[in-house]
Amino acid sequence: MTTPARPPLGRSLLRLFTVQGSWNYERMQGIGMGVAEQPLIRDLDGNGTAYHAAVARAAHFFNAHPYLCGLAVGATARAEHDGVPPQQVERLRTALCGPLGALGDRLVWAGWLPLTSGLALIGVALGLGLWAIFGFLIVYNIGHVALRWWALRAGWAYGGQVATALREPVLQRAATLSAPAMALVAGVALPLVVHYLTGGFLSWTRAVLAVVAAGGFVLLRWQRARLTGLRFGLVLLALAALIGWFWQ
Amino acid sequence: MSIALYRVDDRLIHGQVVVGWGKPLNARFIVLVDDSVRSSDQEQELYRMGVPPDIEVVFASTAEARQRLSEWERDPRTGILVFGDIDTLAALAANGHGVSRVNVGGLHHRPGRSERLRYVYLSDGEAVKLKALAAQGVEVTAQDVPTTRPVPLEDFT
Amino acid sequence: MSPPAVLQVMLLVWGTLVGLDLVSVPQAMIARPIVAGPIAGAILGDVATGLQLGVLFELFQYDILPVGAVRYPEYGPATIAAVSAAHAGAGTLGFGLGAVVGLITAMAGGASLQVIRRLNTRAVHRAAAALETGEPRVLARLHIAGILRDAARAAVVTALGLALAQLARDYLVGTVWSRGRVLLSVAAVGVALAAGTAGTLRLVGRGPGLRWFAAGLVGGAAVVWLR
Repeated sequence: MTTPARPPLGRSLLRLFTVQGSWNYERMQGIGMGVAEQPLIRDLDGNGTAYHAAVARAAHFFNAHPYLCGLAVGATARAEHDGVPPQQVERLRTALCGPLGALGDRLVWAGWLPLTSGLALIGVALGLGLWAIFGFLIVYNIGHVALRWWALRAGWAYGGQVATALREPVLQRAATLSAPAMALVAGVALPLVVHYLTGGFLSWTRAVLAVVAAGGFVLLRWQRARLTGLRFGLVLLALAALIGWFWQ
Repeated sequence: MSIALYRVDDRLIHGQVVVGWGKPLNARFIVLVDDSVRSSDQEQELYRMGVPPDIEVVFASTAEARQRLSEWERDPRTGILVFGDIDTLAALAANGHGVSRVNVGGLHHRPGRSERLRYVYLSDGEAVKLKALAAQGVEVTAQDVPTTRPVPLEDFT
Repeated sequence: MSPPAVLQVMLLVWGTLVGLDLVSVPQAMIARPIVAGPIAGAILGDVATGLQLGVLFELFQYDILPVGAVRYPEYGPATIAAVSAAHAGAGTLGFGLGAVVGLITAMAGGASLQVIRRLNTRAVHRAAAALETGEPRVLARLHIAGILRDAARAAVVTALGLALAQLARDYLVGTVWSRGRVLLSVAAVGVALAAGTAGTLRLVGRGPGLRWFAAGLVGGAAVVWLR
């Protein structure tokens, strides 16, 4: 047992901001995880065999939500210091992949991000201009950085007992509330954005626009595995250019 | 509504399952079939933390899953059944159990496996097992999320 | 009229930072079109166009299923290129020009992400034995190379987008018939609204979230009506 009194969590956190920098299909975030964990296990076994073996393990396949990777980095580094057998460390990493991915995707990608970007859309539509954008960046990143920092500290504090950290009431409440809050904000944003984007169109073009938007929505819902907004957009723009060419 | 998705995914329950498939299918329960997870309370707790509280998570060993498959198929709610490897799938589909379609959602790099799709790495042995299942009448396709096109088995084995 | 060279360079630097933010460093969401567009507009001295195109492409961004390890178009540098193109055809008509340039750039950006991931995979595969020795310098080298690759990719995608914007300005503005430009803009806004709504509903799901979404719609419509 060689648990350092003051682990270099700050250095590890800075590296975690780059955790996906070498994302690849073979190890996914593995290399970035190894780079982030390395400062925490540097003094393991006096930089000897245990240290190198731990670095190699830390760079194995891993994929979870990038903001919560710190939880796995902290927990496995702590487990390495606590002398947990290598197989159990590997098992811990494997077991954390899915849950941290699911929780992060729900909490951030499907919650906090669309919620705050929806508020920015509302702000722009209401005429707040660049203030809405700066507000979005500040508010979103307060949550973002706080989550990364909490994850790393909690992982280090709990080690193999990391499930206890995920029981944190604030985290659970945030995960529960983010979905309805996002849905509400998205609902408010939609009519305001429609009004904002269509304000400059003439009456007949608004009618065409309504048909395009409604028809496009039905098509995208119906053909969701084949048609994306991007493909549909490119096809329709080509069509619009062609019609415009003949209808001069 | 029964089991709407049988999925092979070595990350088991993660974002693609909960948000990607769970939302559009309106899944109300997820069955995780894995012998190691079934025997670890701590791992079960971890997986439960990733799922919204209104979705029930059931943990089962392969043997338990074989016994309870028809019960889950009769469940009026929509469910997703996830397992981590092809051997578990083969065990579930054996002896005429009711697995008629399987989604290969994510099998990642491991020594001995080669890349078939960007999210599917298979050993030759695993590819043969999938073909054998298809020959038994199981419809096998690869598709990570519902917004991508399903890839037929012959295109990745 | 083309922006001065110094502004083009500033857009290129901004696009590179935006492209790097999407996946690699630091995911602070400057890659969101709602941020990338208005800042590009501010660089060009045309915040209004930046905001409009930012909102338009933010709707396209909602069409992407926000879960890990899936493939997606890249709308950040695309929005910057779109703003650069639309800046010349001001007003509502700028939507069409911007969308044409932006969507092509987004497609190229998405494809370039796959190329980078393949190159990273090849590099990691080649270094497999060295990685198993647990030598931190091997990790650091692979990781930094990956980040540099992504920065180069982001710069190339932004440069491509800005070149497309230049072509649009030189050959389309002034020569494209007014009805054609109106139709392009109608198509762009119509598809963006369709994609944004479809994507949002996919995220909201069919559960209780749908009721919250409906309540929001009523509230948003009331605000529009009161204004």
